[in-house]
Amino acid sequence: MPELKFVGKPITRVDAEEKVTGRAIYGYDLVLPNMLYGKVLFSTRPHAVIKRIDTEKARKLPGVHAVITGKDVPWTHGETIKDMPFLAQGKVRFVGEPVAAVAAVDEDTAQAAVALIDVEYEDLQAYFSPEEACKPGATLIHEDYDSYRKSDIIVPGPLPNILEHFKLRTGDVESGFRESDLVLEQRYVVPPIAHTAMEPHSAHAQVDPESGKVTVWVANDAPFRVLTETAEALGLAKEKIRFINPYQGGGFGSKGAMKVEAIAIALAYHTNSRPVRVKFNRPETFVSTITRHEAIVYIKSGVKRDGTLVAREVRIYWGAGAYAEKSPTVCIKGSHPSPGPYRIPHVKVDGYAVYTNKPVAGAFRGYGVPQTAWACEQHMDELAARLGMDPLDFRLKNVFVDGDLSYWGERLVAVGLKETLLKATEAIGWGKKSDASNQPKGIRMGKGFACIAKPTRTPTTSTAAVQIDSLGKVTILAGTVEIGQGCTTILSQIAAEELRVSMDDVSMHPLDTDAIPYDASTTSSRSTYHMGNAVKRAAIHAREQIAEMAASLGDTSLPYGEIIRRKLGAEGTVTGNGSYTFEIGKNVDPETGHSEHASAFYMYATQAAEVAVDEETGRVRLVRMVAAHDVGKAINPLNCVAQIEGGLAMGIGAALHEELVIDDGGRVRNPSFLDYHLVTSLDLPKMETIIVECPDPNGPYGAKGLGEPGLAPTPAAIGNAVANALGTRIHELPLSPERVFWAIQKSREAAIR
Amino acid sequence: MRRLAAQRTFPGWPEERGDIKKKIHITLNGEERTLEVFPYRLLLDQLRDEIGVTGTKEGCGTGDCGACTVLLNGKPVNSCLVFSGELDGADIVTIEGLKAGPELHPVQEAFRQDGGAQCGYCTPGMLMMTAALLKENEQPTEEDIRFALSGNLCRCTGYAKIIQAVQRAAEVMRERK
Repeated sequence: MPELKFVGKPITRVDAEEKVTGRAIYGYDLVLPNMLYGKVLFSTRPHAVIKRIDTEKARKLPGVHAVITGKDVPWTHGETIKDMPFLAQGKVRFVGEPVAAVAAVDEDTAQAAVALIDVEYEDLQAYFSPEEACKPGATLIHEDYDSYRKSDIIVPGPLPNILEHFKLRTGDVESGFRESDLVLEQRYVVPPIAHTAMEPHSAHAQVDPESGKVTVWVANDAPFRVLTETAEALGLAKEKIRFINPYQGGGFGSKGAMKVEAIAIALAYHTNSRPVRVKFNRPETFVSTITRHEAIVYIKSGVKRDGTLVAREVRIYWGAGAYAEKSPTVCIKGSHPSPGPYRIPHVKVDGYAVYTNKPVAGAFRGYGVPQTAWACEQHMDELAARLGMDPLDFRLKNVFVDGDLSYWGERLVAVGLKETLLKATEAIGWGKKSDASNQPKGIRMGKGFACIAKPTRTPTTSTAAVQIDSLGKVTILAGTVEIGQGCTTILSQIAAEELRVSMDDVSMHPLDTDAIPYDASTTSSRSTYHMGNAVKRAAIHAREQIAEMAASLGDTSLPYGEIIRRKLGAEGTVTGNGSYTFEIGKNVDPETGHSEHASAFYMYATQAAEVAVDEETGRVRLVRMVAAHDVGKAINPLNCVAQIEGGLAMGIGAALHEELVIDDGGRVRNPSFLDYHLVTSLDLPKMETIIVECPDPNGPYGAKGLGEPGLAPTPAAIGNAVANALGTRIHELPLSPERVFWAIQKSREAAIR
Repeated sequence: MRRLAAQRTFPGWPEERGDIKKKIHITLNGEERTLEVFPYRLLLDQLRDEIGVTGTKEGCGTGDCGACTVLLNGKPVNSCLVFSGELDGADIVTIEGLKAGPELHPVQEAFRQDGGAQCGYCTPGMLMMTAALLKENEQPTEEDIRFALSGNLCRCTGYAKIIQAVQRAAEVMRERK
């Protein structure tokens, strides 16, 4: 294999110049000729029947073009369960649910019209805890659940309001617990948090009444999936729908399915072919898009005295919020690896995604793994403490290594987990006491670490085309969305590598579903692997065609442009096609949770934290964080570090202060950056990143993925460090000063008694 | 929600609207302009929706995230907290006016090279704040930088690459002096 010229090199982002000059156009920046402005009336009740909606006054306001309610748009959408109306139909299920929408000549007029709409509600019993909502006899939040259109992966639950039940069954946990020397059970809680991509949500839509074509301009990271969802909702052929993607100002899972898109499309059907812009402002984005799933996790483990894991039973209640959104797949993909990356002979997992009357929960970077890692990795330390074992030795004894048969029946390959464990713990100085000499009195220091394995969406397909013109310029047609993760750079590097052209000669075609070949989604850390393979194949296909042309010309030394000019003329173009599906990937069995290839690849990581906890205030200060990630092959090491650092920051926020606070009336109490504490430049410690390369046999150049794992082990690593510092453990996130303070008080009282 | 103070929430306003427009003279990115503005219109909206320069981003509209930072008379401000009516005689520089000539400004070049931008949405605000910092403080410490940028939120980078870029830009600017 020739030496790699672009792959593996810390190449500067190709989209950076557009972004630092302010030229990059985002969804929120778009202006369309003759457009109208949409605004939404949101529900003020968590669960209520709509008795009456009076839109009369709003309609009469000068400048208003359309006022619509659920009656005008009788459609429902959803990725796997079609349960969400475009606008509330007959009842509302959370505070912030869109009830009516207005299109007007400007935003002020639209907002004024919204204020003139009168709604009368009759309240119903509301549920704000997934555990409460699925108790026998609970009021149904979706009375018509049984009749909803659903994907065949859905397994309904045995209790009320459960929209998906994931089961994993391996061995016999009961006999496993009997064989064990120590059995420990514990409950862990993770609250909902917000994605807070810096760009709020917005969508522009237009319907051509002649052809029936629906065009949507939106920063959505899964344009082909949302296109399918739209087609299924509207009952239209896919070619009647077109999605055009401008730049996307972050997403982290929040911008993948229909949210504000539904409102824009609904209004566009009532504006006589004029385009409609609907922007959510920040509070609306907080409340009415999606959140990360809250999770209540019960883990029971049995171990031998020598530290061998024998059995583990996990029960998870995923708070889905008012509509299914991605909950079924979060429940499956998040529950499946919840027992952790360990060899365990007896495993039983029950994951329940439960409707509540909170804002809708959906995909969030990590897809459930951060929540279960918070539970599992703290649980591992608790077991180690009771066994009198070092947490590192305990993990090393049980972690997955190459060739292991996992508890879901898959033979694992390319497992770099152990190396990440060793490197991260070495870098944090595991086993050495923290240097407290510079710390004031009352500060207690501690260290901790946590490890994870994260699967990816499987099986999925990516398709790409690579075009070379007669000037030798290369254009990549790929449906991967540049959400900030750097795919434009990575895919350009791969094309440049295979074609041996300069990076300056490679560019990516703007994303438009009418022009670009299919891609499943820019999610699940799947793009480098799947689209990377597709672009690589497309580039090779183009290269081979040109090589044939060159051979027929009798001169293989000519540059691409010259060959194309001579063979095809000055307007000639050569197009290479490439497609990649992880063909042997299989969905897990609904009864056992087993699959021979549940994921195209697995991402392994260990993170370690050193903390200084103030006993008087309960404040946790991070001294430093270390993150070791197995990326398979770093296509762009600079970008890998950037992804890990960004993940760490998000994980630190989730660990120490992020929580979407929802009161007993279902209202979000902190829908602003003033009240929702995002990490700032002052909140972060020194971060050290370590890249481990354990090549994947099918990944492009050995690459796996990296988008999500950066934040998955972070809270558990910090939680373990805090427990190490205090000698007492906190099972609920976030580790706010108040929570830590009371934990310290409680442990002192216990010590006095 | 943020526009409540500024927006008309009663019927009958459109007819009266013309009466309250105010004429102002400003300098925007070095170019003198005379504008007829609604005094309640936020500078952010004036730039993005009325004038049509969209490099300045809206992240929250309530002065909490810094994405809309511009230089107003040489000082960094959240443009979502400034009313157009106060702008007569103002000198405003946005991201579009940061580079003078074909070369990128040193802070732009440093952010480009060091990975200071990922999704790029907070970047214009970050850059304007950085430019303001380096004008006042040629040799900022890491603490100075962290403090100066603490009102500019970023969800992608974890700030490490941003801080590195600011340090590099400071170095380049000192060398050029």
